[in-house]
Amino acid sequence: MQEAITTSPASSPTTEEVDSGDPAIRIRDLDFLYGSNQVIHNVSLDIFPKEVMAFIGPSGCGKSTLLRCLNRMNDLVDGARIGKGSIEIHGVDLHDKSVDVIELRKRVGMVFQKSNPFPKSIYQNVAYGLQIQGVKSKRVIDQKVEESLRKAALWEEVKDRLNENAYGLSGGQQQRLCIARTLAVEPEIILMDEPCSALDPVATGRVEELILELKHEYTIVVVTHNMQQAGRISDRTAFFYLGKLIECDLTKKIFLNPSKQQTEDYISGKFG
Amino acid sequence: MSPEKEPRHPFATRLTTERAQESLMFGLLRGMTFFVLFCAAFLFWDIISKGSSKVFEGDGLINWEFLTEHPQTLHVIGEGEDEIKLSSSNYYKLKDEKMLNKWGEFRQSDRHDSARRELDARFSRLQYEWSKDSLLVADEKFLLRERENATNKFAFWKEMLTDPKTTAEDFEIKVEEVPGMVTQFMLGHFEKERSRLSLVEEKVTLFRATNYPKIENLSLAHAEEVEMAYLAFLAEIPEAYNQSMSSFGEEAKSSYDEFLQTEGPKEFGRFAEALVAYSAARNVLLGPDHEIENWEALQASLAPFKQAMAVSLPSKDYAYSGGGIFPAIIGTLLLVIGAMAIAIVLGVFCAIFLAEYGKAGKFLSMVRLAILNLAGVPSIIFGLFGFGLFVIFLDWNVSLLAGWFTLAFMVLPIVITASEEALRSIPQGFRESSLALGATKWTMIKTSVLPFAMPGILTSSILGVARAAGETAPIMFTAAYAKRSDLPWEGLEHWTDFFFQGVMALPYHIYVVSAKIPQNAYTADMQYGTAFVFLLLVVGVASLSIILRNRLRKKYRW
Repeated sequence: MQEAITTSPASSPTTEEVDSGDPAIRIRDLDFLYGSNQVIHNVSLDIFPKEVMAFIGPSGCGKSTLLRCLNRMNDLVDGARIGKGSIEIHGVDLHDKSVDVIELRKRVGMVFQKSNPFPKSIYQNVAYGLQIQGVKSKRVIDQKVEESLRKAALWEEVKDRLNENAYGLSGGQQQRLCIARTLAVEPEIILMDEPCSALDPVATGRVEELILELKHEYTIVVVTHNMQQAGRISDRTAFFYLGKLIECDLTKKIFLNPSKQQTEDYISGKFG
Repeated sequence: MSPEKEPRHPFATRLTTERAQESLMFGLLRGMTFFVLFCAAFLFWDIISKGSSKVFEGDGLINWEFLTEHPQTLHVIGEGEDEIKLSSSNYYKLKDEKMLNKWGEFRQSDRHDSARRELDARFSRLQYEWSKDSLLVADEKFLLRERENATNKFAFWKEMLTDPKTTAEDFEIKVEEVPGMVTQFMLGHFEKERSRLSLVEEKVTLFRATNYPKIENLSLAHAEEVEMAYLAFLAEIPEAYNQSMSSFGEEAKSSYDEFLQTEGPKEFGRFAEALVAYSAARNVLLGPDHEIENWEALQASLAPFKQAMAVSLPSKDYAYSGGGIFPAIIGTLLLVIGAMAIAIVLGVFCAIFLAEYGKAGKFLSMVRLAILNLAGVPSIIFGLFGFGLFVIFLDWNVSLLAGWFTLAFMVLPIVITASEEALRSIPQGFRESSLALGATKWTMIKTSVLPFAMPGILTSSILGVARAAGETAPIMFTAAYAKRSDLPWEGLEHWTDFFFQGVMALPYHIYVVSAKIPQNAYTADMQYGTAFVFLLLVVGVASLSIILRNRLRKKYRW
């Protein structure tokens, strides 16, 4: 059954857009618990390099928790633990004792639902990740800040006010600043937890364009409540319900011809 | 009002119990609030009105003496309308001025020249006394005289011992008691010698102690032995007196020379003092009758000068009611700053641990309970705790350092609670994004939690410390002196001494002038003035913290 839903793009004839080869993230038989409350049940899933994977499902289905497992942000929560199974990135088990969580998070960046820049200048926000890594050279930092802001499609808007407080930016700009901040530490995988849920439609459009742009360089996992958004930006979509992975397939197939009844009910708005 | 005219509609006002209760409660609440307001207004009005009259004494200008001087005795000259209030330093300045005037008048007068000639003549004749030759002769004469006296004394005692029977009859005692009596005579004699020969007091004591067994067990043979020893011992005495005479003589000479140049009263005073010291040694070595004529004439020739120096400025003195409170202001500031630094460092570290690292559980709730209890401990207990731990056990004595730590521990609960509150108010998002960018926990706290929590931490902590600075109890055993003449940075032998000295402090000063000294018409001024300055200081610190908070808030707003 697991094999049936972790459809490898290689085995699917209709997947020109998706890269083939070894998965970037391999989740196997994962159970995850908060204390004694199991929130993820036996999930197995592969995410491939340079694809956009969308997690959809009703609230409380465990999609955000799974996302936060991918860079071990759940370590912060008291009592959160893995029941069984494993998460591997490039074949390395994330929960192995030899894994330094700090290094992991540098390679697996994260953008949060609520845009939360630090109450510092725009420049300092982007430079933060480099500075805490001990980069001292102003030239290197300047260069990296510009590069990251350009990649986040924010440079033209803020280049004249880099030293102003980040909270002077609009909501959408703040969210793109957070993305730029993440890009500055040169991650390989970017996790996005409902990045547009607090933004108006125009700002959402800008962020979605950005995601499509970034997909050429990064592996992106997006959690979203907005199914149109999943349809617009993702290559593949995983549908979760009550902590279980119901179906994972190419986005087009999920939306047009889902193989499970539950998926169809959810997508057609019968529940959730 | 007749019943017909009463309005008769469904909404007519009627007196019900609810309505009565409503009016009563409203009146009560308003009354209580006004009572509190009245008390607060009275308190501030009292301190400000009475205190400002001390701080802005006279014609409304600031009374700098009160703010910049040490506490002193108040001298009040005259009475009623004409009274002049002077602190000690000004009083003695005035007295000096008067004396200089009188001295100046004397120098202008005819009496001055003749007095100077007389003094010159008498003093130059005296100077021969402490020359080497003269002292050699004097030593011989001294020994001769002293030995003769001693021989006479011992002869008398030996006689008593040779014929105890007659002695017993003369003194109406038993024969066997005679040696004991002579022992008493001898001991008494040495006791007298000890005070007469005060320069060699120790030597005499030593002599008596070495010969004590013989004196106590007196027999004729013993008495003879003691006599021989004593006669030999006398030779040791002149040296000390020679030294004393020549050193005081030289001092008199040099101060006299200075006096000749300056003709000032101070030099004369030193000269007269040196002469007094000289005379003490002279009386012993030369005997009081030596050249008595010249000596007395010298004393007489000093008299006109002494008279010219004597001025009287009658005043009523009130201890501790004059001068100012400068050392207390400085001491309080030092206490506040040091205690604040210690409390903030300890408190913030503790709060970071509790808020960021501590995992909810038994340990954490126990720590919280302990902190809560600490906040309820009376300040006098903190005083005793500081006294026991810092002053006695760590042996810091009554010192700035002990006061700092005692005050710091007292405000620690406030600082910890406030800091924890401030840390918790930082959005969780800052922590998560920092960690997601690859920060370690401490880096995260250092760069994206603490800076933003600082405004809150500082304001609450400074306010807490400012409040604690007003406490008398914790510092009265640990840091406060009632009076100290030096400022904290004066007279330090080593820089570390700075931390181990007691200081004056405003609250303790108020306590001392209100409760520890005899009250008089002028102490109330001192109390209210000090209270007023203290109030200003606390208001100053509080506004400073608020300004600081506003500036930091502007910098970090989200």
